[in-house]
Amino acid sequence: MTRSFLSIRAVRKTFGAFVAVHDVTIDVPKGEFLTFLGPSGSGKSTTLYAIAGFQDPSSGDVLLEDRSLLSVPSHKRNIGMVFQRYTLFPHLSVAENVAFPLRVRRRPDAEVKRKVADMLALVRLENFADRHPGALSGGQQQRVALARALAYDPPILLMDEPLSALDKKLRQEIQAEIRRIHRETGVTILYVTHDQEEALHLSDRIALFREGRIEQIGTGEDLYLRPASEFVAGFIGNSNFLAAEHLETAGGAATIRLADGSIVKGVKTTQAFDRGQKARLMVRPEAFRLTPGPASAELAVEFIDAAFFGDRRRVVMRTAGGEELDVRPTSDAAEPHGPDSGRRIFFDPAVAFLFPA
Amino acid sequence: MQGSFFRRSSAAGLPAGSGSALPALLLVGLFFIVPVVALLLRSVTDPEPGLQNYAALFGSGTYVRVFLNTFLVASVVTAVTILVAFPVAWMLAIMPPAMGSVVFGIIILSMWTNLLTRTYAWMVLLQRTGVINRALMGLGVIHEPLPLINNLAGVTIGMVYIMLPFMILPLVGTLRAIDPMTLRAAALCGASPFEAFRRILLPLSLPGIAAGGLMIFVMSLGYFVTPALLGGTSNMMLAEMITQTVQSLLNWGLGSAAAFVLLVVTMALYAIQLRLVGAKHAGGGI
Repeated sequence: MTRSFLSIRAVRKTFGAFVAVHDVTIDVPKGEFLTFLGPSGSGKSTTLYAIAGFQDPSSGDVLLEDRSLLSVPSHKRNIGMVFQRYTLFPHLSVAENVAFPLRVRRRPDAEVKRKVADMLALVRLENFADRHPGALSGGQQQRVALARALAYDPPILLMDEPLSALDKKLRQEIQAEIRRIHRETGVTILYVTHDQEEALHLSDRIALFREGRIEQIGTGEDLYLRPASEFVAGFIGNSNFLAAEHLETAGGAATIRLADGSIVKGVKTTQAFDRGQKARLMVRPEAFRLTPGPASAELAVEFIDAAFFGDRRRVVMRTAGGEELDVRPTSDAAEPHGPDSGRRIFFDPAVAFLFPA
Repeated sequence: MQGSFFRRSSAAGLPAGSGSALPALLLVGLFFIVPVVALLLRSVTDPEPGLQNYAALFGSGTYVRVFLNTFLVASVVTAVTILVAFPVAWMLAIMPPAMGSVVFGIIILSMWTNLLTRTYAWMVLLQRTGVINRALMGLGVIHEPLPLINNLAGVTIGMVYIMLPFMILPLVGTLRAIDPMTLRAAALCGASPFEAFRRILLPLSLPGIAAGGLMIFVMSLGYFVTPALLGGTSNMMLAEMITQTVQSLLNWGLGSAAAFVLLVVTMALYAIQLRLVGAKHAGGGI
C-alpha cells in the first residue's frame, strides 16, 4: 500500500443506537481537493468533524503522514477550517482575525504583519484590514475566514459548507476564488457540500455519501458518466428514469424491454440481472436527440412544454407509459416539435445505464 | 429592536403611549425625587444652614475609614462574584435548555428566599462553633476555628451569595449570544482553551460582566443587612453608619449628608458605565 498523506481508516461514529458514519475509509494524496458530497444527515460533516477533532470517532483512525491525529487536541492539530456560519471574532479587526492563529503561536510581530498582508492579498481584501467583521458582507467574511485558516500554512484545509449562506452569484464568484487559492497554495482541501454543482466545479475527486457510507468515490466525470448506482445517477446531474425489464446481458451490454414494449439493445450496466428482472433505465437529459442518429434507440413521446435557456433548450415530454422526461438538446439543434407534431425522440443506448429497480 | 424604538421616539419627540407612563413617573417623582431633595436640604440645614455636616464627614478619620471600607467591601464582593458567576454562567449557556432551566430555577428560588433567613443561615454555618468550623476540625484539617464571621470574609461570603444571580443572569445572556462555533474556530486556529478564553470569550463577555459588575458594586455600596449581621465593628459599611447616626445619635443632618454622598457616588459610577459600554449594555442584561 502506498503511503498516503491523509488517511481515514474505517472511521465509525455512533450516537446511541444510530450509526452516523459506517466504517468510512478514504486515502487523500497531498494537494488533492476532495469533496464530501451528500444529502444532509449522510455523515459527511461528522466525518469532517472527526478530522477536525470536534467529535472523536467511535472506532477507526485518522492518520496524517502516518501519525494518528485522534489523541491530538483540536488546537494542536494544525488544521485550517472554514465553517458554514461566519465564525470571525467580532471584536477583532479583519487584520487581527487573520493574525490570530499567528499570535497564539507567538510569532514575531514582523512575521505576523507580513503574513497578514500576504493572506489579505490572497483573498483580495487588502483594503479591508482595519474593518470589523460586522461591516463586511457574507462573502467578504468567508474570504477573511479563508485567509485566517490559511495564515499558518496548515497541511490540510477543511471547509464545512462554507458557501451555503451566500446567494448564487456570490457563491460562484467565491468558488472561482477557492479554485484559484487551491491552485496557488497547493493546500490539501477537504470540502463538505450538499450542492452537486459546487462539488463538480471545485473538486479533483468527490466522495458521495449516503446514510453514513461512501456510495461512490471518484472524479466528477466518474460519478457523472459512470455512476455506480441509481442513487449516484440521481444525485449527480439530472436524470430520467424509465421502467424496464431486463432480458439478457452480454459483455457489459444489456438488452431490455421498455414499458411500451420496445426492445433496446446495448445498454451499459455494471450489475448482474436475472432474465425478466424489473430494472430502471437512466438517460441523461442531454443524451436525448430530436433527430435519429446512428445506432439510436427511440421512444414514442408526447410533447408537453419547451423553454429556451440560452445554451440549451429544455423540453418536457411524456412517454406512452406516462413517465415525464426532461430533455435538454443543445439550442442549435432543430426547433423542438410543436404541440401537434413530435412523436419520437432518440438516444444512444451506450450512454444509458441500467440499475436494479 | 431597541434601535428602532429609539429612532421612533426621537422622531416623534415622545414615544407613542408615553401618556400611560404618567402614573409611574408621578410615583417616582413623589416617592423618590421629593425625598432625595428633602434629604439634600436636610444635610445642609440641620442643625443649622451650612456645609458643616460634609466637613464633619470628610474631616473625621472614622467616617473616611467607613467610606474606604465600603468601597473595599463592594470591590471585593464584585470581584469574587464575577469569578464565581462566570463558570456557572458558562455552564448554563452551553447546557441543554431543559437542564438549564432546572438550574435557573434553583438560582431564582434562592433569590426568592427571604434575605434575613439566608443571612441567618450563613451565621449558623460560619460562626466559631458553626457547621463549617466543626466539620473542618472534625476532619483534622484545622485545629483552631477559622475566623469566618464578623470580618471581611464573612461579609464577602454572605454578600457574594446574595449577589450571584445578579451577575449570572446578565452574563448568561451575553454568553448565549456568542456562537460556540467561534470557540471551535479559535481552537483549530491553535488557541489552547486558556488562550481562547483570554482572547475570545473574555473580551466578548465584557459587556455582560460590566453590566452585572456595576449593578453589584452599586448594590453593595448601600448594603445593610448582611454587613450588619456578618460583618465586624472594625469594618463597618456606610449604610450601617447612616443607620447609627440617625437612630442612635439622632444626627439627621450628618446621616443625610452621608446618604447623599452615597447617592452621588452611585450616579457617577452609572454615568461612567454609560460612557464606557454605551446605554445598550448598562444594566440592560437583565
